[in-house]
Amino acid sequence: MNPAIITDNLGYLLLGAWPRGPVGGLALTLILSGLSGLASALLGLVLGIALAMSAGPSRVALTIGLGVLRAVPIVMLIFWSYFLLPILFGVSIPEIGTVAATLALVGGAYLSYGVAAGIESIGHGQWEAGLALGFGRWPVLRFIILPQALRAMAPSFVNQWTTLIKDTSLAYVIGVPELSFVATQVNNRTMVYPAEIFLFVGALYAGLCVALDRLAARLVRRRSRPTAHLG
Amino acid sequence: MRRLFALALAILCSVGAAQADRLDDIRKAGVLRVAVFDSNPPFGFVDRGTLQIAGLDVDYAQAIADKLGVKVELRPTNPANRIPLLISGKVDLVLANFTITEERGKQLDFSIPYFASGQQFLTKKGTLSSPDQINGLRIGVDRGTTNEIVLRRDFPKATVVAFDDTPFAFTALRNGNVQAITQDGPKLVGLLAKVPDRQNYEIPPFSISNDYIGVGIPKGEGRLRDLVNEALRELEARGKAAQIYDRWFGPNTEQPLPRLFRIGDRN
Repeated sequence: MNPAIITDNLGYLLLGAWPRGPVGGLALTLILSGLSGLASALLGLVLGIALAMSAGPSRVALTIGLGVLRAVPIVMLIFWSYFLLPILFGVSIPEIGTVAATLALVGGAYLSYGVAAGIESIGHGQWEAGLALGFGRWPVLRFIILPQALRAMAPSFVNQWTTLIKDTSLAYVIGVPELSFVATQVNNRTMVYPAEIFLFVGALYAGLCVALDRLAARLVRRRSRPTAHLG
Repeated sequence: MRRLFALALAILCSVGAAQADRLDDIRKAGVLRVAVFDSNPPFGFVDRGTLQIAGLDVDYAQAIADKLGVKVELRPTNPANRIPLLISGKVDLVLANFTITEERGKQLDFSIPYFASGQQFLTKKGTLSSPDQINGLRIGVDRGTTNEIVLRRDFPKATVVAFDDTPFAFTALRNGNVQAITQDGPKLVGLLAKVPDRQNYEIPPFSISNDYIGVGIPKGEGRLRDLVNEALRELEARGKAAQIYDRWFGPNTEQPLPRLFRIGDRN
């Protein structure tokens, strides 16, 4: 073991070439995870509600779209959107945007099923009670169903975000310098210390995921305390 | 997964539309976009001090941009995406230790070679002394390189184990998972120089192929190719090519190697 290999390259692993070049390393992994995490949560919520509330042809179309996003490997989706879109449609998306958008779409597709299941898990009596009180369908969803459903969905959101953090490493395929990409660069310059470098990188990813898990657990606990008291 | 990539590549090739003259585009933009390796010292790697990509290929990219009178913009690449980057028009040239092969020649054009290397082996001392022994060994290679193709084609009885990159292949050698690893000779010399217990290893003095390294150029861009070739010949004639070589393989470097190949030796 040669810990100097980590300390010598710590700045590069954490920040990439920044401030002399674009930001990279752990910082870019955080940016990518944050952006795509937020976007996937919004998408998942919207698509999940659509899935739970729609019927007929629109539901079939939605199911097919979500199915495609869930079936194609993420690394291929990134590869395709980056290399094929410019040729087919003449649009060129920057690398970081491509990765964040792809991860958000895939994450959103997975989450939408969780959201739909959460909504469907709330007993039918709640809907009927709301409607009987004179609420419309959407207010019932907004004020009665979603607050209960979202609490039940929290673990699946955390699951999806943890997966997302790790999937940011697939950005390597279009040369985005996130954590595992810069680690590969350092590994190939130093040649003989892969164990040190990738143990450290693994520990960073584990740290990120554990931190996210703790944070979410704390938020859920704080949110649910008054209700638990009432119950 | 690899088959999926091959399919993706084939489709990219079939839709890769013919563009207007690339040379004019480069001059108009004032920027030459070049894909270079970021994990392959000393051809292209991230310099520890400047945190920018440096290396032999980078120096050649700069010299070609100088000849064109434009700035150079580097894009990091790896064996998995250097051809897609070129075909989809994201870069104008590839200088990434790119071995000239007939197969690749169907998808893109190459310049005249500016570097040559032979495929060699790195082993623990006393394991390998002649090519006839190769068929009985477990050998580590870097996935997707011409080294892998040549080894599988010419030594079908050798057990080939493919790794993501050279550090992983070398770790497998160190741990005894494989008995030898194979790569371009110059790269192995550089690797051996970094090994703490290098006295236990050796690079047997034979090579199993001659690889010529060229600049990857989009197919059908004849004017751009002529200009790149002209730039390379000028570099040789003015002694600049020898200077670049010495900077990375000269007597004062980690991997001193005599310069046997000169630009223009082979067309």
